[in-house]
Amino acid sequence: MARHRHGDARSRRIALILFAACAVVAVPTLAILFSIAKKPASPWFGQYDPDTHPAYNFSLTDHDGKTVRLQDLRGQAVLLCFGFTRCPNICPTTLGNLAAVYRKLPPAAQERTKVVFISVDERDSPASLKEYVPFFNERFLGLTGPPADIGTTARAYGAFFRKAPAAGSDKDDYLIDHSTYTHLIDPEGNFRVLYRFEQLPETDRIADDVQRVLGMPAPEKQP
Amino acid sequence: MNRFLCPLFLSASLVFAGDLKIEDAWIRAVPPSSKTTAAFMTIINKSDRPVLITGGTCPVAQEIRPMITTKQGNGVMGMALAESFAIPAKGKRVFEPGGDHLMLMNLTEVPKAGSTVPLVLTAESGGVKSHIHLDAPVR
Repeated sequence: MARHRHGDARSRRIALILFAACAVVAVPTLAILFSIAKKPASPWFGQYDPDTHPAYNFSLTDHDGKTVRLQDLRGQAVLLCFGFTRCPNICPTTLGNLAAVYRKLPPAAQERTKVVFISVDERDSPASLKEYVPFFNERFLGLTGPPADIGTTARAYGAFFRKAPAAGSDKDDYLIDHSTYTHLIDPEGNFRVLYRFEQLPETDRIADDVQRVLGMPAPEKQP
Repeated sequence: MNRFLCPLFLSASLVFAGDLKIEDAWIRAVPPSSKTTAAFMTIINKSDRPVLITGGTCPVAQEIRPMITTKQGNGVMGMALAESFAIPAKGKRVFEPGGDHLMLMNLTEVPKAGSTVPLVLTAESGGVKSHIHLDAPVR
């Protein structure tokens, strides 16, 4: 009899321990699930920087030979990437996607958006950029400059580049490995959103981000 | 755009090229100053053995070479020539913008958007070479 009661007490204790164990697991799990469910999804498609980090105020030469500083582009959203005009695949893909983003903007937003392509290739010149960049969109801006200025600018934007072996027999026809991020800089000149190369085909969503950074959000899309 | 634009024009001498099917081939329109451009496509290998694509020729470039796109972390990308692209047996490989591609090297004429360029790709399987003819629109 005593043993029986002892057994009852033990099974009660086991039940209590099991219940406590379930509670220990379930309460935080539910709490996390609720917090995820309640947290509003970020409206930004790219990697958004909520802090204010001024983008480096470069001073480079555009494809018409004029000096352009980032500061000159205040009031505009700037989509900025690095590349080189002999790039047969990555850069045309990037600029082609950015051209599609630009086409999707309403005219008022286009007026306040600049796509900037900075060449990391010392073989490039204003002339070679003029033949290349406006091909994708005549309002896009190609920039070049002395290697030291390009190096400083690239570092300030977290971009990396280095010469890579030539594809053909001509050694001067070398390729360049380079960063493929695109920055969206806000009208005040701050880093705002960063896009990976793989995100660039999502041109609708990038166009939404551009309008948002301009303070002219796109109208809600009908499902 | 025709999604199955590139029928293979096989010559009688080809042993295995009939087992290769190429879909969605196109060439990227590039600025007039360009020395290179890229051809993209899906290559389907219906045969029981892998097929190698080793390169090719076309009227607007000195040669066509397989080019791989390398991803080096931290968003850095580059390119490197490859000896060949292997298309697995009973498999396929997709060549698309930003990835591996067939590079038209040393353009002798920059192909215009809207035109069509005939390509001849060299394929190899079990030591046997053959040529695949296809037309790729430029866009």
